[in-house]
Amino acid sequence: MSDRHSDRDYRFVTPKPETEVDDELRFHVEERIRSYVASGMSAEAARRAALERFGDVAAVRDACARMLAEDRKAEARRDWFDDLRQDIKFAVRSAARAPLFSLLAVVTLALGIGANAAVFGVFKSVLLDALPYAQPRQLMRIYSPFRDGTQPHGSLSAGTVSDIRERQHSFSSLGAFLSPRDGVYLNGDTPQMIKSMFIEPQLFRTLGVTPARGGGFRDEDALHDTTTVVMVSHDAWQRLFAGNPSAVGTTIRLNGIPRTIVGVLPRGFVPPEGTADFFQPLGIKLFMTNPITVRGSHNFGFVGRLKPGVTEEAANRELNGIGAELERLYAKDNLGIGLSVVSLRDAMVGDTRTPLLALLASAALVLLITCANLAGAMLSRTISRRKEFAVRVALGAGRGRLLRQLLTESVMLAIAGGAAGLAMAIGALALLRGLTIAAIPSYATLTLDTGAILVTFALTLATGLAFGAGPAISVGRSDPQRTLRDETRGTSESVRSRRMRGVLVAGQMALCVSLLAGAGLLLRSLWAMTSAPIGFEPNGLLTLTLQPQGGKYGTLAARNRLFDDVLQKVRALPGVTDAAVVSQVPTTMSSSNGLFIQDAPWAPNEPVPFISTGAGSEDYFRTLRIPVRQGRVFNTTDGPDAPPVIVINEAMARRYWPKGNAVGAHIHIGPPNPTAPWITVIGIVGNVRNDPTRLAPEPTMYLPFRQSSFGNVLAIRTPGNPIALTSAIRRAIAAVDPMIPIYKVSTVDDVIGDGFVMRRLPVVLITSFGGLALLLVSVGVYAMFANMAAAREREFGVRVALGSPRAAIARLVLGQGGVWMVAGLVIGAGGVVGAARFLRSQLFGVPQFDPIAIGAALAVLLLCAAVALLVPVRRATRVDPITVLR
Amino acid sequence: MFEKESGLLQGTVELLVLKTLSWGPMHGYGIASWIESATDDVLRVEEGSLYPALYRMTRKGWIKAQWGVTENNRRAKYYHLTAEGRRQYREQTSGWRRFADAVNQAINTRSAPSWAK
Repeated sequence: MSDRHSDRDYRFVTPKPETEVDDELRFHVEERIRSYVASGMSAEAARRAALERFGDVAAVRDACARMLAEDRKAEARRDWFDDLRQDIKFAVRSAARAPLFSLLAVVTLALGIGANAAVFGVFKSVLLDALPYAQPRQLMRIYSPFRDGTQPHGSLSAGTVSDIRERQHSFSSLGAFLSPRDGVYLNGDTPQMIKSMFIEPQLFRTLGVTPARGGGFRDEDALHDTTTVVMVSHDAWQRLFAGNPSAVGTTIRLNGIPRTIVGVLPRGFVPPEGTADFFQPLGIKLFMTNPITVRGSHNFGFVGRLKPGVTEEAANRELNGIGAELERLYAKDNLGIGLSVVSLRDAMVGDTRTPLLALLASAALVLLITCANLAGAMLSRTISRRKEFAVRVALGAGRGRLLRQLLTESVMLAIAGGAAGLAMAIGALALLRGLTIAAIPSYATLTLDTGAILVTFALTLATGLAFGAGPAISVGRSDPQRTLRDETRGTSESVRSRRMRGVLVAGQMALCVSLLAGAGLLLRSLWAMTSAPIGFEPNGLLTLTLQPQGGKYGTLAARNRLFDDVLQKVRALPGVTDAAVVSQVPTTMSSSNGLFIQDAPWAPNEPVPFISTGAGSEDYFRTLRIPVRQGRVFNTTDGPDAPPVIVINEAMARRYWPKGNAVGAHIHIGPPNPTAPWITVIGIVGNVRNDPTRLAPEPTMYLPFRQSSFGNVLAIRTPGNPIALTSAIRRAIAAVDPMIPIYKVSTVDDVIGDGFVMRRLPVVLITSFGGLALLLVSVGVYAMFANMAAAREREFGVRVALGSPRAAIARLVLGQGGVWMVAGLVIGAGGVVGAARFLRSQLFGVPQFDPIAIGAALAVLLLCAAVALLVPVRRATRVDPITVLR
Repeated sequence: MFEKESGLLQGTVELLVLKTLSWGPMHGYGIASWIESATDDVLRVEEGSLYPALYRMTRKGWIKAQWGVTENNRRAKYYHLTAEGRRQYREQTSGWRRFADAVNQAINTRSAPSWAK
């Protein structure tokens, strides 16, 4: 044995440094006394002389004890690292001895940890990272929700914005904005599509954002009807102006009007809603002059900063009160509309929270299953290595040392898996950033920062300890003498490790059935959403958006002429069967208007219903294949000077004219303008589901494109591949006016698909997590039965020899393992209930405890488990008594 | 026995300890006694100051300590040279000799320098 070992053995009786030094010094002094006494001194004199000759005992003792203590600590550290190095060397060697096991373990861990790291990366950047504003916790978004729950995130009217300003005491500052809109930036001679947004100058102050360059807006900039100054986002500054500092102060043409750049916003800044390249000053006062729209148009977003000490709840209470007051004061416009306060973070996170939590939970479940599974695999490996451990214990290795060795092995596997998983997660996030999913808030960077990497590392260590702990404990308990003596039972399992394996399988079954049930529910819900008839034929439809500039096409007549020309050219193209203009294609329609029916005024306590509103040209319904149920649709004579007409869908007709007399009815829409002429309902068309998450189609009305001021989207039908038409259509439009920017070219199928991305993506991910879990559980079940059958091979041999039928042995094996599987499913029932409860808000068109989804989850799990256990159980029944008993 | 903060003497003590231990393991008392008698009590000051030197040398890895039993059956902490200690002993002995010879030669010389009056 080396020096080091003898030292360490001796350290078990090592006293404290002080005591050891004391002993050493005492020996010295006593020896000296003895020698003095031997030379004839009296005991007392000898003692004095010895102490005098020694000097300052206390000082020497302290100095020595301090040094000794330091040395011991350093040595312990050295020993620890020596042991670790030895453990690691050993772990690498033993991993290399079982390369397949190691590789499988690392791959499984990489998937488990990678999934968690990626999901955590998204989760963190969406829900945990600070918003790009000063003290973001104080920032609140004010909404104007409908009391019937239909529009929880309703926008505010200009009147409400200024009324809140006058009455509120909760906020130190407030700022309003309008949602980002498409605009045209003239880059040299090339018109380019950009997003621009109107923002009150004080909103930047409220958010605590100052321009990175330039002076930014002054309050008086917002007083003019036509804004002449703009600010530019950091991204747009890089993209459109190559990050040139001298861009500030230059004049650009935005939406056809020259405007001066007065500032560049800091990197990372995003507006409280959506994204924008340019910001224009918004003056709310300008919107206060039109008596109809002041309270009738609800367009404004509103953000406030809480005064110190005011809570979100208190602000919400105050705004509820103001909302009720405004509802009373302006019943005509505000009936049924309240006010509410939501933290800006929640407002920006929106509907992403629950899917993200569901994803995080399912990734965690997969990792737990991975742990349980690897714990089982490690257990098998430790059992086959029991002899090795017994020998090491017999040769003097401490149990603690052995335990540490095993944990080092599992942690090393986990670290290898974690490193691979981290690489996977970084790749997955890069992929996700590339997708630019609209439902993910724009401030989310979707990267793994130091914090996320540390969390992943901690997770990796925890994983390694978790799946190494069980086997390590089982080794710590085993009796080396018995193991070494018991030659024949070298590969069998103890009752304890068999029970541990059973518990691990039960746990995996429970987790897996919960995960699968959740995935099943989400799949069924997605299927219900996508398979329900959408009301038109999206296949073979191309859509693109034109942005005619304000000046030249400012009048309805000019714009009608433009689109007539464009449609004529497009229709003439080979392959085009139909073409129409529309405000927005289905599933993206976003505007809605109040409905007022002639001679049927809403009762004073009845809020005005808001109806989804679109505009379309004569061919719209034919192009989209929306059937006409009653009356007629538009024709070319429904122009700007003709009497106003409107087409409604069946859902609207049934709801508001239950007697079937909708056609011919007269209505007003939007902010009620009593002097405007009544609009006549001329026809009823089939229902179209604009919000695919709702199975019941919502009431919708369509204005004739020729009479309404909005609509710049083309819908073009072709029997072939719609995208193939793109360049021909671009040329056709350029032939009419080359200066019209064309953008958002897409098939309608893709438009609908994009709307589903945030619904589909989590479902796809959770389902693949479920698949992974299923695979792992199958392996776990297989291993349990295989080990069980192997352990009792001799017993089965005896039974067969004594005449036991093979079926009885199968029953025996099945019974022993089945107990654990059933236990797992019973525990899993709780998990299924939890999963269904949690996903409730995400389910559409399926009951919370959908028997089909849950039954399918159970069936798939049982099927996989049955396949997995078939082989080992068959092997058990085929035991040949002669070979086994020889 | 030795001045504490004197670098020259500190090195000397270490050399003397190495010398003592070159004959075999010995406890602090034995080391102190041998050095005193071997130097005819010239270096006899405070014996206690030997111990910090012993601990320092232990830390440097020149010597190692182990508890043992004396002829009188008393527990005592014995120090012995390590391989590094033996190497140090050889090096320092020859170094000391060169040093002492040089100093000796200098102070024994009879030829006066040119500037001497």
